[in-house]
Order: sequence, then C-alpha cells, then structure tokens
Amino acid sequence: MTFAACVLATAEAWAHAFLDHAAPAVGSTLGASPAAVRIWFTQELEPAFSGIEVTDATGARVDVGTPVVDAKDHTLLIVGLKKLPPGEYKVHWHVISVDTHATEGNFSFRVGP
Amino acid sequence: MNRPIKGLAVLTAAAIVTLAAHEARAHAVCGDRVFPPTLTMDDPGVGDELSLPTIQFTPIPASGGNPPGHTVDYGYEWDKTITKDLGFAFNGDYFTQHGAAQNLHGWDNVTVTLKDELPCNDAHEFLVSVGVIRQFAGTGSSQLLNAGAISTVSNTAPTLYVGKGLGDLPIGYLRPLAVTGELGYQFSDSPSLSPNQWASSASLQYSFPYLQQHVKALDLPAFVGRLIPLVEVSLSTPPHGSTTGTISPGILYEADTWQAGIEAVIPANDATRRSRGTGFIVQFHLFLDDLLPNSFGKPLFDTDLWQ
Repeated sequence: MTFAACVLATAEAWAHAFLDHAAPAVGSTLGASPAAVRIWFTQELEPAFSGIEVTDATGARVDVGTPVVDAKDHTLLIVGLKKLPPGEYKVHWHVISVDTHATEGNFSFRVGP
Repeated sequence: MNRPIKGLAVLTAAAIVTLAAHEARAHAVCGDRVFPPTLTMDDPGVGDELSLPTIQFTPIPASGGNPPGHTVDYGYEWDKTITKDLGFAFNGDYFTQHGAAQNLHGWDNVTVTLKDELPCNDAHEFLVSVGVIRQFAGTGSSQLLNAGAISTVSNTAPTLYVGKGLGDLPIGYLRPLAVTGELGYQFSDSPSLSPNQWASSASLQYSFPYLQQHVKALDLPAFVGRLIPLVEVSLSTPPHGSTTGTISPGILYEADTWQAGIEAVIPANDATRRSRGTGFIVQFHLFLDDLLPNSFGKPLFDTDLWQ
C-alpha cells in the first residue's frame, strides 16, 4: 500500500486520452447542422498526430479542413463540417496524448427530427 | 482434532489460497472497448500494471465441532510487458486464517504467468490472448506448507482468454455490455498427489464510461460515469469430485491512472458452501503505463510479435 501511494505521489500524472465530452454530444440529435465537431479529452494532445473524421450514412466524408488542437485548451480537438442535411453521422477520432499513448474511438449524432 | 475434520480445514484453506493465487489482471483496449482489470479472474489483455493490494475476506463456517473462523488474504500482482503484446505477471499473497480448525499465516506459493495478446478485432471489440500459468510449489511459507494449506505440487495451466464487447450490436443502451472469459487446464507435476483440473471464469460487465463516450452522453454525475458494475463467476472442476466456485457481483471505479474495485464473493453451490461463506474482495490497481510511461510502464522491447 505504501509503495502504491509512493508511485501515485511521485509519478507524472499522464494517461491515455479518452473522450471526456463532445459537441455535438455523443448520441445526441440536433435541430440544425453544427458548424464543427469539438471533442474534449481527458489529457492534452499532440496536435500533429490527432484527428477527427466525420462521415454520413453512405460513408462520405463531411468534415472540412484540418483538425486542430485548440491553442489555449490542449485537450480540445476541433474539426469543421460541411452544412449537414438531416441524417445520421459517425465521428471517428484518433489521438495521441502528450505521453505518446495512442487511443481512438467512435460515436454518432443525428441532424434533423 | 480428528483427522477428517483436520482434512476439511486443510481443504478449506487450500481452496481459498488456490482461488486467490489465480488472480492475474491486466489492462486491455480493443477498438472502442476498454476491458478493465477484474478481481477474481484475469482480463483478456496484457499490460504494465500493479495490483496492490488485493484483500479478500472469507468466512469459514463451523463444522465438525470446529468453531467458525475466517481467512484474510493480502495479494499483490505485477504485470510487465516484454513486447507490446507479450507480458508476464508475478502474483502471490500473504494468507491468514483465524479460528476454524487452526490459526495459520504465511506466504502463498508464487505464480507466474506468461501471456500473449493476439491482434484484436477493433470493429467487433473482440480480443483473445493465450497464456501459460505456472504455480511454483515450495515458494510459500513452511507453516502453510506443513498445514497442507498450500500445494506441495507445482502445476502448469495453458489458458485461453477472451473478451467481447457488445458495442457493435444494434442494441442501444445495452451496447456498453461486455463479456470476458478464461479457460485453463491445470497440469499437475504429480497428478497422483494433486489432480489435474479445469479452471474457468467469466464476467459480465456494463461500462458507464463506454455509455458516455460511445453510445449516449447522459447527464450523469462524473463519479457515476466512471463506474463499471459487473459480475464474475469462477469455477474449478477436478476430474473426480464436485465443481466448486464463486459468484462475485460488484463494481469498479475507473480513474485515469488507477482503478478501485469491490465485490461480494458468494459460494456458487452447496459443495462450495461447505467450506466457505459469503465474503468480499477489494482491490486497488495502478496503471503503470500511465503513471511511469518512460520506465516501468513501457515494454522492454518496443515491438509487437504480430506486426
């Protein structure tokens, strides 16, 4: 127990980066097309190795531009979107945290009624 | 104490020590799924982790004129990756028995596991590992050895580990469910003294982190969003004799760099209830790959046997 406490106390508090929350929210339905997908992670990210792809029901890409890590909040990854018609959209993210751990994940959101 | 009663007491202690000795836990990610370390069985991956401590309390029922008692087992395990997919684990425990037939305390035999994680199917959250578990007789304390509470015969168990998340199925709020399993056959070094036997375990888990991250972000308190309720079942089946085992419902809390868990440990059948009552197990677990990413927390060789 003492050893475990020492490890916790002395270690650098880095970890795998997992999704903390997102806008649009995971599994949500929006009344209008969002301008971008924003994902906040549990750790700071390496910008050069982190990205987001957004696809529609046919698998066509609907994201535009290069995903960027927010200049002030290094846990926030943003990608722009085309104007989205009603439908289901899938978000795939892949990131590398500052301690070089790679993680990825998926979620969906819906536009329209 | 007459011989049959002493025999039962020894069997009780041996059964409890054996169940504790086969804990081996690691940390595994496959696609969207994180298979968390489980308490009474192994999970289907390899990793750099430390379980310290794992404490298990087990009541012993009164029998044959002996008073009731209890055991407390203080376990540890260190998991280390050799390559990204290949790892080993050391685990053992300090065993104490109070009351019942006799008071006992001492170190259990050491167990070493070598395990390889096969390439996972990300889309179907399907992960398989194969391993070999070796328990080294003679590494435990002489008091437990003399009392017959720990095995005097080493054994080797080729073991298959499987994990399957249900996130690929169109089942809505049930997508956070996952099942894991472990199946091994223990080859005794001396079957006439200690028989070969099957050892199997399974778990059913519901991951609130998975729900929040991949299915539907609900307005849950942050604490709840890190919980994983689960139930584990562990069984041992000798070639002659009754199957014994436990059912362990409980809950895990998954932090960024550590995990804590607690489960009730309930006898699975009458044969098990003869030697143990309902107890509990608690564990504190560290993810060394996150805590010490540049030293103990990384593979010895930065390669993958399958790539």
